[in-house]
Amino acid sequence: MTRAASAASRDRSQRIAAMPMEVTGRPRFLAGTLPSIADIWRRRELLGLLVRRELRARYKNSSLGILWSLIKPLAQLLIYYFAIGQILGAARLIPSFAIFVFIGLTTWTLFTEMVTNSTVSIVNNGGLIKKVGLPREIFPLAAVGGALVNLGIQFVVLLGAMLVVGEFPVTWRVLWLVPSLVLLVVFGAAIGILLSAVNVYLRDFEHLIEVVLIVLFWASPIVYSFSFVESLDLGWVRELYLANPVTLAVLGMQKALWVAGAGNLANWPQGLGVRMLVALLLSTLFLWLAHRIFGRLQGNFAQEL
Amino acid sequence: MAAPDIVRVDQVSKRFVLHKDRSIKERILNFSSNRTHREDFWALRDISLTIESGTTVGLIGHNGSGKSTLLKIIGGIIDPTSGVVSRRGRLAALLELGAGFHPDLTGRENVYLNAAILGLSQRETRGYFDEIVDFSGIEGFIDSPVKFYSSGMYVRLGFAVAVHVDPDLLLIDEVLAVGDEPFQAKCMDKIAEFQNDGRTIVFVSHSAEQVARICKRVVVLNHGSLVYDGATSEGVKVLREGFGM
Repeated sequence: MTRAASAASRDRSQRIAAMPMEVTGRPRFLAGTLPSIADIWRRRELLGLLVRRELRARYKNSSLGILWSLIKPLAQLLIYYFAIGQILGAARLIPSFAIFVFIGLTTWTLFTEMVTNSTVSIVNNGGLIKKVGLPREIFPLAAVGGALVNLGIQFVVLLGAMLVVGEFPVTWRVLWLVPSLVLLVVFGAAIGILLSAVNVYLRDFEHLIEVVLIVLFWASPIVYSFSFVESLDLGWVRELYLANPVTLAVLGMQKALWVAGAGNLANWPQGLGVRMLVALLLSTLFLWLAHRIFGRLQGNFAQEL
Repeated sequence: MAAPDIVRVDQVSKRFVLHKDRSIKERILNFSSNRTHREDFWALRDISLTIESGTTVGLIGHNGSGKSTLLKIIGGIIDPTSGVVSRRGRLAALLELGAGFHPDLTGRENVYLNAAILGLSQRETRGYFDEIVDFSGIEGFIDSPVKFYSSGMYVRLGFAVAVHVDPDLLLIDEVLAVGDEPFQAKCMDKIAEFQNDGRTIVFVSHSAEQVARICKRVVVLNHGSLVYDGATSEGVKVLREGFGM
């Protein structure tokens, strides 16, 4: 052994002697939150790389590439514009129907992408999870990040369209974007983290969630405005309808961006801000709980995959 | 100065539950007979050992002896059913070379991704990048997607990334059995260099010969129990003679 090598070796052993021993695994239910947040924060660069990997790999071999993430919502927009707007006549009652639908669709797409992509994220990254010790929350979070990037792209198109028709939102109401998106991301991440873990044990969830999402699409004012709901006199069903965080987020987004509908106050419920605040608090609690359940279940991921 | 401990394994047991039904339907149908559809299997029973910094330890045993499970528990990939594992220092686990390579991304992109997975920052990776490519010996292909790589190129790039992570503790699971002769020689050189640097290596292998060459200490496992912990020559003899049974 050369003298230089043994010096390096001595340095290393001194450095290691100075470090505290850390217990692996996170068996405790309540005390695990802060350490794992710190863990994820330390790996934020990896999170960014995983988001990029997800986006690049998805469109790598297609010539239109990332444009595909636009084509799907635009096709949906066309369908709803003609089928519901023109044929069923909703466009006569909802001003700037195309813009209205596109606001709702981008919001909804963000939610579905977060949920469906997170749900399969752990199973799809099984190879990595079985072989490398990582904070596993990174995978559903990367799926959420990817969905946000797609939202950004759709937003560019939406803003462009609003410029063209001259309904660009130049009011303070644009600030409704912030609570709406925060609420949606917290709620979506909570569901995504929970289902990503549960799906490892019961693979039915990735199919179940798709069906549930098809149904839930109609439970938010995306292709019809909230004034339709108000006109129905639904009683307690109305409260249930408004308890849905996705509905509140969609309403918030419309409040921020739908200029043509701003004149009609029936398009939004009373006290939207308070409802959103309550939903945000509950969703945050839900996110914490989902993360704790995730922490409990993740110890066996490597052998269940 | 005595070498500090880098890994402590304290009375670790691991039970695998073998579920025989997977879907909701099967679970509901079999709910009453749930117990009969579970089978317990103890992969490890009551293992305790301490590894000092700077040593190289071989884990040997026959198939199904639990050596890979023990390595995964040390690496934090599986949680033990009972018992505690504590460790310190930077860890790199070579359980599978190129784990996390995405086939559609280029070698270059995968180097950055894989290095981040193993715990290097982007800046550190940039610093090591040329060295990594040089070590892997695939300069000409670094900008092609890794799905076009031969399995040898894949493994070489994976190994090159892993050894540049600057680990204090390196866990190796059989990965050295792959690759051609020159590559294996290169791996062995790298391991010798790591030993010189005072890094700790925990090494799982079937090859008693390979273990004898690089480890002074071996741990012999049989059906999840620790049957021998000590000098390599003695341990290999224990394994060969079938645990004196």
